[in-house]
Amino acid sequence: MAEKIKGKGVIAGIAVGNILLAGQNLDSFLVAYKPGKPDAEKKKAAAAIMAVAENLKKSIEDFTAQGLKEQAGILEAHRLLVEDPSISEAVDTQIDISGSAPKAVLDAYEANAKIFEAMEDEYFRGRAVDMRDVGKRIAKYLLGIKEPEIVGKVIVAGKDIEPSVIAGLPTDKIAGVILGVGSTTAHAVIIAKTRAIPTVVGVGDGIAKIADGDPVILDGETGEILIRPSDEERDSYNDKIKKQEELKAHYAQLKDKPAITLDGKEVELVANIGSPADADAAVKNFGATGVGLFRSEFVFMGKTDVPKEEDQFKEYKAAVEYCASVTHGEGLCVIRTMDIGGDKPLPYIQVGKEENPFLGYRAIRISLQRKDLFMPQLKAILRAGVYGKAAIMFPMVINVQEFLAAKEFVEDAKRELAAEGQKYSDSVQVGIMVETPAAAVMAPALAKYVDFFSIGTNDLVQYTLAVDRGNAQISYLYNHFNPAVLRLIKRTIESANKEGKWAGMCGEMASDPNAAIILMAMGIKELSMSAPSIPRVKERIRNITLTKAKEILDKVMEMEDGDKIKDYLATLG
Amino acid sequence: MTEATTTIENKTGIHARPASVFVQKASSFKSKVQIKAKGKTVDAKSILMIMSMGLTKGTEITLVADGPDEKEAVAALKKLVDDKFGED
Repeated sequence: MAEKIKGKGVIAGIAVGNILLAGQNLDSFLVAYKPGKPDAEKKKAAAAIMAVAENLKKSIEDFTAQGLKEQAGILEAHRLLVEDPSISEAVDTQIDISGSAPKAVLDAYEANAKIFEAMEDEYFRGRAVDMRDVGKRIAKYLLGIKEPEIVGKVIVAGKDIEPSVIAGLPTDKIAGVILGVGSTTAHAVIIAKTRAIPTVVGVGDGIAKIADGDPVILDGETGEILIRPSDEERDSYNDKIKKQEELKAHYAQLKDKPAITLDGKEVELVANIGSPADADAAVKNFGATGVGLFRSEFVFMGKTDVPKEEDQFKEYKAAVEYCASVTHGEGLCVIRTMDIGGDKPLPYIQVGKEENPFLGYRAIRISLQRKDLFMPQLKAILRAGVYGKAAIMFPMVINVQEFLAAKEFVEDAKRELAAEGQKYSDSVQVGIMVETPAAAVMAPALAKYVDFFSIGTNDLVQYTLAVDRGNAQISYLYNHFNPAVLRLIKRTIESANKEGKWAGMCGEMASDPNAAIILMAMGIKELSMSAPSIPRVKERIRNITLTKAKEILDKVMEMEDGDKIKDYLATLG
Repeated sequence: MTEATTTIENKTGIHARPASVFVQKASSFKSKVQIKAKGKTVDAKSILMIMSMGLTKGTEITLVADGPDEKEAVAALKKLVDDKFGED
């Protein structure tokens, strides 16, 4: 019988695979470790350091050969930390104290990590993570814990998983994700969503029951996880897997059909993506006709310096090309400029401590003050526009002045590109995310200047209702059908249409089939969502008329209770 | 023993990438190489020691090498610092 643990299923689907533990705890191994004489331990430590440096060298060569310069650069810095002459001395000293080579290695790097953590400079503080990472690598070698080799499909598990861990693994290798923490908005979960990877969060201490390499079955709907299942248990899941396959097949035949109502009203269903590879999967597997939100944060995260224009250009160009490839060049790729703030500080963006980062120095507020960050990004998008259809979208805008200032930067970027003799597209659309109540209220004015609006409901709901959706005690108040929210959305869409501009949506609400029909009735042109949600929404739109949807909308707008609206719409589906 | 004094000019100072480049270069010489700055002297072949000095833009540093290729070492490392590690 398998051991069972349970969490909250957040991305549906059954996954079968072996566990790959992220952020492994070494304590039990350290206790079990039997050290030899100090001299022998010192020799072992020295040999481990050499071996780990050799392994890193090989990985660096591989990354370099594949053109993955960033990864190679990070590992190169790690290699130097491994071979650092001051470390071998510190390790020897620690062995004289504790007698154990792996413990000495961990202690030596920990001591350095502490020094860096105490530094003024935010960048240096961040490097403490690298030191602990390196120390752990060598200690694992000494303890005989092998670096996981990815054979077949893996289920990545950890108390909290760094987004870079999931982003760094090839998509086709990750069958599932298990998180100890409960957040459904953790970055790891957002990435998993764009790739339709079955995910369970909030298993808490259950994570300790799973060991590296354990075979598990994970149900992303019920949140159940079976560790080391028996053959019978595997069989019982085969039925579920079969049903999953059938639904998949039904959705697959919808892939190339348009999202069009019975009376001929078409809505564009496009994808939210975090990397160009997501765009490829979205158009090929789920029939997205473009990208409504390219979160450019991943271009910025995991970097030690401001990402270069050339590197950004390559990423954007790839996504723009994928969109153009499926739709005879008509597929639009909307790239959102950097949306980062104090909640996720970066070495090259000094935000400092803030009481409330979500109401702080972030997104467009940083971009407008940091020409060195903003210009390379704008130039890279304008250049990518040559390869298809690109659009620039500014996040967190609250007034007309911010938009006009940002637009002026776009014009400057064009002038710079022209002076440099670079090819760029002059027809790149420029619009904003409507995610603050201020922008929604001022939509009639903003609509005169922008090319488009894209409603970001995650933040719009949060800011409008003053509800932190991560707070379990008040999460019942978080509802995108709240009448106040619906009025702001309707106002935004109508304002755009009145000025001959278009409005779309890129928040989670867009992936709710019940919301899709009323949004369509309000006059929305495009719905952007994590690609795996596209078939569900498409199915709903293809089975209703616009006339009926408008009737439903009229009824909904008369209702005063968001929960009742939600229930009412659910009865129709 | 050979010495040379110069000033860090690249805008982000010696953080990880420049420190990596610097240590790789220093390690390619047989001589013992040290950096003196802010009243401290550290091994120039140790990325930890160099990074822990927090060498920001405008810091004056002295490069000291002692060994068979000390002249070449000091000249090459000074050039690296003066060229801002290929940044900017």
